[in-house]
Amino acid sequence: MARVYNWQLGREMSYWYPERRPKRQFAAVFDTNKCIACQTCTLACKTTWTSGKGQEYMLWNNVETKPYGFYPLGWDLNLLEKLGAQDWDGGQYAGRTIFEAAQPGERVLGWRPEDIDYASPNVGEDDCAGGVEKGAHFTGVHNSWFFYLARMCNHCTYPACLSSCPRSAIYKRPEDGIVLIDQGSCRGYQECVKACPYKKTFFNAMTGTSEKCIACFPKIESGMQPQCFVNCIGKIRFAGWISRPESARADNPIDFLVHVKKVALPLFPQFGLEPNVYYIPPMNVPREFLAQMFGPGVDQALEAYRNAPRDKDLAGLLTLFGSTEAIVAKWKRVEEQVIGYDESGKEIIRVPLREPTHIRQAFDAARGVARTNVS
Amino acid sequence: MKPRHFIFLAAVLSASALAGCGKKEPPVSEAEVKAVFEKSLPSTVDDKVWERVPAHPAKLLLQDMVEPRLLQASTPFVRVQSVTDGRKVAFLLTWKDATLDDVPGPALFGDACAVQLPATTAADVPAPQMGEDGKTVEITYWSAIFQASVNGRKDDIHALYPRAAVDHYPFEAPSLKAGSPPQQEMAKRYAPARGAENPMAGPRTVPVQDLLADGPGTIRFAEKTVSSGSGKYSGGGWTVLLVRPLPNGAQPGGRTQVAFAVWEGSRQEVGARKMRTAWIPLSLGSAQ
Ligand code: SF4
Ligand code: SF4
Repeated sequence: MARVYNWQLGREMSYWYPERRPKRQFAAVFDTNKCIACQTCTLACKTTWTSGKGQEYMLWNNVETKPYGFYPLGWDLNLLEKLGAQDWDGGQYAGRTIFEAAQPGERVLGWRPEDIDYASPNVGEDDCAGGVEKGAHFTGVHNSWFFYLARMCNHCTYPACLSSCPRSAIYKRPEDGIVLIDQGSCRGYQECVKACPYKKTFFNAMTGTSEKCIACFPKIESGMQPQCFVNCIGKIRFAGWISRPESARADNPIDFLVHVKKVALPLFPQFGLEPNVYYIPPMNVPREFLAQMFGPGVDQALEAYRNAPRDKDLAGLLTLFGSTEAIVAKWKRVEEQVIGYDESGKEIIRVPLREPTHIRQAFDAARGVARTNVS
Repeated sequence: MKPRHFIFLAAVLSASALAGCGKKEPPVSEAEVKAVFEKSLPSTVDDKVWERVPAHPAKLLLQDMVEPRLLQASTPFVRVQSVTDGRKVAFLLTWKDATLDDVPGPALFGDACAVQLPATTAADVPAPQMGEDGKTVEITYWSAIFQASVNGRKDDIHALYPRAAVDHYPFEAPSLKAGSPPQQEMAKRYAPARGAENPMAGPRTVPVQDLLADGPGTIRFAEKTVSSGSGKYSGGGWTVLLVRPLPNGAQPGGRTQVAFAVWEGSRQEVGARKMRTAWIPLSLGSAQ
């Protein structure tokens, strides 16, 4: 095993291969507070990539209701239990990653879902963390909570799928950090299925190989965001490029959200993969739960998010989510307008910080009728 | 019954199960695999010739050298018989396996076996674990999953999950004539490994694959699979016939080395997680 630096853990860790970062790294930010679990993303992916034989059960993208939703069943709980309680020491991870906790004879600490574990993709949907008392009503504090967690492959900096493959059939593209399984050389050992903590590789029983999210690389290569991003009804998703913290640029949208404002956090950073999908945590969920899921930055992230109405830059950048199919490589706010630019610096989108609001009177005096939504 | 007696009885039972009910017990060759010369090679696992071809009881060891390793022993030995016609060599592998595993799926693995020979017969043999850099090994791999599809199981979700409901496959739209070249071409595009010409993906005419390797983790598909084979599960075990060309420099009357591997699907043995032998001397019979 090599020693590599994982900035999400604030320390070096053991990994099967030496550190070799791509020229640039595909990354994304998801705002969980805006997801409505419509599953349009799931279907956008499904119809684009996985309508073949053997792919029936595959959801490269899925959205589950936390705390009781999982696809596959118990994907996170099973591994958390195997890993056991671990600690953070401030911003530094004091526990063991799944590479460091690998059992003898294994490259990674993992587990294998069975077919039955994939049989209920909507298990736990809209289930609250607790019972709802008779007569309970919303008074400003949620005693019972749930939230929607949209998930895709994290195109990890230290992919467990890649490190577990004994035949090196999985590779991370040096040009954009997208992680792919070579369909020409995979032999279907399912080591990656066992190793990926997020369970985002899937075995295709008809072709005898494993498959995974490809980050819609043909779209990325032409400067566009993947299907699950551009079809998102809630406009919760934003794709782009992430830098290492020391070279973060405030005019790079992902850097701004992750490194400057620290409003978006990795999913289960303690596993050690340096995943590259970042989440703005939900506001209505107990901190302990969020800290386990998103690491020690939760308080700071929520504080920044709560402050967005007073933070024109943050609010401004959030308005760019879902505003264009193109990848916004750079951005800036000019007073009440937010502008997105492509790689070459060409303006591709301009949105107002606040949409103009028109208030229609409830009663239409000219026609002498009360207005409804359709009149 | 004392445990030791029980073990003894189990050993007797397994030996008789391996021999197959009512079949004549072949002679034993302890020290080596003897490939007996025959003008024509047997084409089935039930061929009468196997009753007289010497059987070598090959002890299987854990693959516990490279990750992912197998740390719990499963199949203890495989019985090997061999016949050559001077150009090709046939191996009959027989081993006990309480479960027939031939269904692919998440966390489902097929029973399998393989034979390995040095690509070039020389005094200096490659490392027994998949060869080494510059010293290639040739492998013929048989899988129960491949066998099931060759035996007629359709490459279709309903063959694995009879109650599966599928709304629609785009490449089976009514507007496309079933079996027509455009339809076939489109179906291939929806099967990525097939599109990438990966031999794992079928369609399959033989239950074996020819592979090459230069060390652990380097296995690759031979340009073409020229070997053949067939496997049959009965009496609590597998009997598998593998027929492959003699490797470079292996002459009738000469000697080389051979190694075997067995995977027990129900124990999730796959890839490097396998039971395997060390090199075993292989003597090749000749017409004289
Ligand atoms: S999320 Fe899983 S499949 Fe995706 S790169 Fe990371 S380890 Fe691999
Ligand atoms: S499309 Fe967007 S809002 Fe709908 S489920 Fe997916 S991530 Fe959530």
